[in-house]
Amino acid sequence: MTEALNIRLKGLISDLQDFYALAFRGIRGMVSKPFYLADIIEQMDYAGAGSFVIIFVVTLFVGMALSLQLAAELSGLGLKMYTGMIVGISVIRELGPVVAALVFTGRVGAGIASELGSMVLGHQVDILRVFGVDPVRKLVTPRIVGALVMLPALTVIGDAVSLLGGYYIAVYVSHQSGTVYWSSIRDVLTFENVFSGAVKPFIFGYLIASICCYSGLSTKGGAIGLRQSTTKAVVISIIMIIVSDFILTRILLYVLGFSV
Amino acid sequence: MIRFEHVSMSFGRRQVFSDLSLSIDFAEKVAILGGSGEGKTTILKLIMGLVKPDSGRIMVDGEDITLKSESELRDVRMKFSLIFQEGALFDSLNVKENVAFCLREYTGMSEEEIDQRVKEILRTVGVEHALELMPEELSGGMHRRVSIARSLAFCSPRMFLYDEPTTGLDPVNSDNICRLISDMARDGAGLIIVTHKVSDAIKVAERFLFLYEGKIVFDGSADALMQSAVPEVKFFVEAENVK
Repeated sequence: MTEALNIRLKGLISDLQDFYALAFRGIRGMVSKPFYLADIIEQMDYAGAGSFVIIFVVTLFVGMALSLQLAAELSGLGLKMYTGMIVGISVIRELGPVVAALVFTGRVGAGIASELGSMVLGHQVDILRVFGVDPVRKLVTPRIVGALVMLPALTVIGDAVSLLGGYYIAVYVSHQSGTVYWSSIRDVLTFENVFSGAVKPFIFGYLIASICCYSGLSTKGGAIGLRQSTTKAVVISIIMIIVSDFILTRILLYVLGFSV
Repeated sequence: MIRFEHVSMSFGRRQVFSDLSLSIDFAEKVAILGGSGEGKTTILKLIMGLVKPDSGRIMVDGEDITLKSESELRDVRMKFSLIFQEGALFDSLNVKENVAFCLREYTGMSEEEIDQRVKEILRTVGVEHALELMPEELSGGMHRRVSIARSLAFCSPRMFLYDEPTTGLDPVNSDNICRLISDMARDGAGLIIVTHKVSDAIKVAERFLFLYEGKIVFDGSADALMQSAVPEVKFFVEAENVK
């Protein structure tokens, strides 16, 4: 019993050590040669353009649902005019980055883990090493760059689409003034709000790409191993997004001078 | 010379080798036989430094490769050409790009020169017509051929390492691949073929090693293999009904 626990603990520590090493080497690959520009562009296209539609649909409905809930609650209190403000703050500071990151994990993260996992099982990663190509620079760095560039861009698009969805509900369902809605949004577009929403996607993107690359590259044992590594990548990424969102929110609120 | 000195290795709780020692000359044509899961492929990976043993030394040309870093291993790896079971072609690249991979990575060749060289290599292995095909469009035999072509573009190896090169192929294709393997080793290059097909091993190798439970239980010529009294070897040879 104690021995089994000991082995598991050693395995966990060794996994963590390997993960940190991979995440560090992945980012170091961005500042030292060789650069694999074609791979970076391919990954940006896959992560960005490929995720656009799904981000659009999901954030649109999130914005509409949020606006609907707020309108229903606030109208009872006679405070419907605050719908835009609360939608704006929620989307820009919290929901936009988190929802985009979760969707990104499901689409791009799972894709990264399964692609790298099948490359490991098909000995393609071994062949890269045989040819003297560092798999981290060739496979991990382009995916980290893709996530670091594209997740923030998708978050900005998602935020805008959510606000539009909120606007549609506020104006055409809740019969509020469109001018009031947009002026409330403008009021919440302060440096503090935008900054706290803008920092998160970079952190989330780095976490998602690193976790999913690590999970994919540590795939073992055929189709079942591939399923396990993909599931592990998505589950750990989701947990890390939610946990790090809380930690980041706490830090940002403190740094930006918000009182809680 | 490749030398394994008291090599032990395990994956998790499963011991693959315990105190394994062997030596193979670069010019030899060696077949490593054994059942599934006996660690045959692991021997090739150990030679290439793709995995490290738990204990023991692996000497290649007198250098202990277990102590070398990934970048230092590059020179060692250039002495070999490793062809994996399924070919391990990059599935996002077509045949031409697969073969050109190392030429683009390491040479300053122009696109025209690369084109020329790729065609030349593909002709050597008999798949020049497959230039634009994607790996999923290739048959099993073509996969192996393109994989051999890609490794030839990387370097002029002193030794070819084949991991189950005929597994999953029909008898005609198996025969063609064996012929290609023999042709490749004609200019003095050696080979190690890892397989569980005794008939194919006999076509290409001169020395035979039989792995059983992490140890070499037989080391000898084809004739000695066929007449071996070692029970595991005897069963193995008889099961395939090799004449």
